[in-house]
Amino acid sequence: MTTVIDGREMQPPEPMERTMEALDTLAEGDDLLLLLYCQPHPLFSILSKNGYAWSEDLRADGTREIRIRKLPG
Amino acid sequence: MALTHLIALGFMLQAMCGALFQFIAVAVGGNVWRPKLVANTVQPVLLLATLLLVAGLLFSRPVLLSAAVPLFLLALGGFVVAVALALWRTPATGVTLWAMRMAIGGLAITVLLGSLLAEALVHGLSVPIVELTNIHLAWGLGGWALMLLAGVSYHVVPMFQLTRPYPASFSRWFGPLLLLLLLAWSSRIFFGDARWSLAIALPLLLLLSAYAGITLWLQYTRRRKIHDATSIYFRVAMLAMLAFAVSAAALVLRPETGADPRFVVWLGVLAFAGVFVSAITGMMYKIVPFLNWLHLQRLGAPLSAVPNMKKMIPAEAMTGQLRLHVLAVVLLLSAVWLPGLTRLAGVAFAASFAWMGWNLIGAVRRYQSFRDQIRATALHH
Repeated sequence: MTTVIDGREMQPPEPMERTMEALDTLAEGDDLLLLLYCQPHPLFSILSKNGYAWSEDLRADGTREIRIRKLPG
Repeated sequence: MALTHLIALGFMLQAMCGALFQFIAVAVGGNVWRPKLVANTVQPVLLLATLLLVAGLLFSRPVLLSAAVPLFLLALGGFVVAVALALWRTPATGVTLWAMRMAIGGLAITVLLGSLLAEALVHGLSVPIVELTNIHLAWGLGGWALMLLAGVSYHVVPMFQLTRPYPASFSRWFGPLLLLLLLAWSSRIFFGDARWSLAIALPLLLLLSAYAGITLWLQYTRRRKIHDATSIYFRVAMLAMLAFAVSAAALVLRPETGADPRFVVWLGVLAFAGVFVSAITGMMYKIVPFLNWLHLQRLGAPLSAVPNMKKMIPAEAMTGQLRLHVLAVVLLLSAVWLPGLTRLAGVAFAASFAWMGWNLIGAVRRYQSFRDQIRATALHH
């Protein structure tokens, strides 16, 4: 299952707050899709410290699709 | 000249260097080597060097200028090396990173030219002082300050002001074009031809008008309208930049206008007070609360325990200070032509800086108080 958070029209730190709330309930195998207009480096450092993996895609309109999932174990 | 350096070094440079430490980590995922050590060394040396330079210029004391030069080279040389290493080692890519890399190069050139000028004044070296001063100014305001502002804007304007991203064709070319035009502008020292200066100055002014115009257009066309102090500060800065470009173009096209020394003061007020003080203050009103939030969040407290970013600096305090700043800029611009307003304009400008300082100190105190609360709660559990 994919949970989508469209943070493009939210003021920081709201996208990060919502992402972290969603991660608390993210099951293994599910993923979280975050849409932003920028690269959230502070979030990346939190994700790597807490056992999450992510991938990034850049759409033509400048939207960054950040797909996050929990690493097994 | 003393007052110009007081704003450029005492306010702009201090704020920009400090912001870079955090911005490198937040925007491009880089790490400055031992940031606390670098900051705690660079900041006091830079402050001392600035005071010596300003006092030397104000009281015409060459010995103070001589003392300031090695301190600037030490502080900013160390800063440039530490930041450049972080910017070249980060695995990140993108236009913001490239703009920051070019900006740090611009700072290095500005410092070297400034040091040469100070030594020339002290020792009476036979260098073309006026030409070198113009080039030093162009690198300081264009190669360093504007380059950094643009690079930070690509990241911060869409993020905090909820606009669409800058058009990729613009953000990809703005930095390299600015760099190329500044290099061409610097060649004035070899080609004294007025037509050459004209051929460089007009595209340069067009380029900065494009940056200002696109930023205003992005703000105007955003889907969710926000009218906070940062957005309005940015609008003021971009309007001042357009006014600067139009005024400077008039000066370039009609050189006889330059015979009136007030015209150059008008340009200086627009650039320093209108563009950079506005943009930097607007940025600080977003970046300082955001960093407060980020650092509190990293203390490991549950999200509910971390106060909302909006509680760091009261919105009314920021808006009130913004109004006073705009009034001060209008008074300063008016005082260029109506000298009777000079004292009032100076008082308003000083008061707006004092208010800004008060707002920022308040944010630091709130951070400390929330941090202590979170630590105390953690101890009780």
